[in-house]
Amino acid sequence: MTDLLASPNRTDEWAVETHGLTKRFGENIAVNDVELLVPRGSAFGYLGPNGAGKTTLIRVLLGLTHADAGTMTLLGHAIPRHRDVALARVGAIVDEPRFHGHLTGRQNLQILAAARERAAKGRIDPALERVGILHRADDKVSKYSMGMRQRLGVAACLLGDPQLLILDEPMNGLDPAGMQDMREMITSLVSEDRTVVLSSHLLDEVERTCDAVAIVDRGKVIRQGPISQLLAGSPFEVQVECSDPDRARSLLEGTTFVSHLQVGPNGLAISLPENTQRDVVAEINRLLVEGGISVHGIQQIQVSLEEWFLSVTSRLGAPE
Amino acid sequence: MTNIPDVDAPDPGSAPAQIHAEAPGDHRGSWIPTRAMIATRFMELRKRRGLMITLIALTIGLPTLFLVIKLLLHAFVPHSYGPAGGFAVFTSLIAGVLYIFGFIAAMTLGATAGCSDLADGMFRQQVVTGRSRVALYLARIPAGLAIIIPMVAVAFTIICAVCVFSAPSSFDFQDTTVPLGLSLHGYQTWAADHPNLIICDFPYNGPCPGNEAEPNTPLPRALAQRQAEQNYPTYAVTYDSPPYGEMIRAGLWLELEVIIAYVFGLWFASLMGQRMVPIILMIVYEIIFRPFLLSTKIQIPHLINLQRPLVIELAVAHFEPAGIGINYGIVNGPAGLQDSSHLVPESTAIAVAVIAAWLVGWTVLGAWRMATRDA
Repeated sequence: MTDLLASPNRTDEWAVETHGLTKRFGENIAVNDVELLVPRGSAFGYLGPNGAGKTTLIRVLLGLTHADAGTMTLLGHAIPRHRDVALARVGAIVDEPRFHGHLTGRQNLQILAAARERAAKGRIDPALERVGILHRADDKVSKYSMGMRQRLGVAACLLGDPQLLILDEPMNGLDPAGMQDMREMITSLVSEDRTVVLSSHLLDEVERTCDAVAIVDRGKVIRQGPISQLLAGSPFEVQVECSDPDRARSLLEGTTFVSHLQVGPNGLAISLPENTQRDVVAEINRLLVEGGISVHGIQQIQVSLEEWFLSVTSRLGAPE
Repeated sequence: MTNIPDVDAPDPGSAPAQIHAEAPGDHRGSWIPTRAMIATRFMELRKRRGLMITLIALTIGLPTLFLVIKLLLHAFVPHSYGPAGGFAVFTSLIAGVLYIFGFIAAMTLGATAGCSDLADGMFRQQVVTGRSRVALYLARIPAGLAIIIPMVAVAFTIICAVCVFSAPSSFDFQDTTVPLGLSLHGYQTWAADHPNLIICDFPYNGPCPGNEAEPNTPLPRALAQRQAEQNYPTYAVTYDSPPYGEMIRAGLWLELEVIIAYVFGLWFASLMGQRMVPIILMIVYEIIFRPFLLSTKIQIPHLINLQRPLVIELAVAHFEPAGIGINYGIVNGPAGLQDSSHLVPESTAIAVAVIAAWLVGWTVLGAWRMATRDA
């Protein structure tokens, strides 16, 4: 986290940089004083529950709607002043990708390529091939499935040879194989030194795909950084298989580093609070052995991104 | 709206974004659309099969059907049905069919072009390219006109061809066959043989001198010849095939009307963000309000200076060919009978300025709406 957020004044280090970005719809604040730093060349997840303001932030970033306050840059170019220059190297899917249904996939891309530089026209077939729908390029989009439209949307993003791709819920409508393809594509795009910003509420997908995330809730970014570092400071659980779990619980109840203990069929489950060091696991083992309990195994269970997400958002336990 | 202070853009040479530098000549912030944008926009409209069939049916189909029926009727029942061509048919089709349906077709196409991206969700994707929204809007103007202008031109050419090549060689007037295509001398000779008809009955001559009742005895042949000499120019253009000059003027006037209708439909749909309501409103306007707007009854003596710039129809009417007569309520009427004295008087320069101002104004408003709309 420290590395990622270092040198905040170097605008060329960040693919996306916002300061105090705010967007209101009447009384409702959809984007609330957002400070966001997306490092170049990474896969960055923008996570939040439904209605958290993910899509609104993307729309503001892309100049689809105006911001009410704050500053922002894309690829080092100020938005909205240099929007045309910045977006020349940005590809984006906002909400579900929609196209002219009476035209073929190729013809839709021709329209979008015409709005870009001349070279974009030559990228149509490679882009279609890359997303795996070249064989259906001359079919009307009205005959495409949702997943194929999603792929076509990604192909449209690739027309501009983008340095930054902003994908809003790109897994929507994809079958498991399609999701796997999309993951691989995102990974390959990042390996080409492109930046991919992935907005999603599918935490598992983000965890599998992204290097870093920002968590947004009620329009505000509440955490951001590399996933490993974010999770490193989170609570975790230790599962202990031992000869006498009940006595082990009694022994550990008096300690200060344990937040919760529960005896189950697999032994003793010990919940440890945030920022617990790994040495504590060794200390637990030592206490149990000194107490005459035979320890057959200790397994550290790292909290998942989903569990961590639920713990840090204000919607914990709230119905969707 | 709160102003958003921009962070100064870094030196272009130092930013990694410049690894993939802009292609030379890629002025995507410019308001001027590229040829490729116009071409793809043209393709998008042309590929709307249902719309194209409707437009062709309205502009080309209706007059063609009318002419085919007239040709067949004349071919099989020549005594009951006159020739399919001639000046009268020409003015009927121009004023009564192509003028109205050309307007509706152009406006429908404009309304479609104005909101198709919004309706199909492509507007957002185009905006994300960084291309100027104004350029995106302006690309629709030549693209749509490249469809509707040739369409109306084809319909007009068909009408002209039939009206010229199937023009009548005579017509019946009060049980008398009037020969057409006569020279001045021939017309005078024929007039001398039918003095009462020429002097008292012909619409561009009569009534009889002194408003007296038509006598039973023949009027002087010399008077009939003088009358014939006076009205020969009208005779020559009225009942024969349409004159070439008149056809060219009518064609250009129709295309002007079509351009105005397209630009208006484009703006209106762009403003409203949908197609159906603007189309319905424009059809209501075309069928109900425009004739009223052009009627002589609404000339307001003390507000003529306001009427001139506010009513574009008056400016367009200024360029209407004299023989068409639609705006004078005398469709098919001979030119000599047309009365333009009730029209709001304005010079050609003012008419041109009014039309140009409206076209520019609508375009600016449409582009402004496009530029400020949330995508």
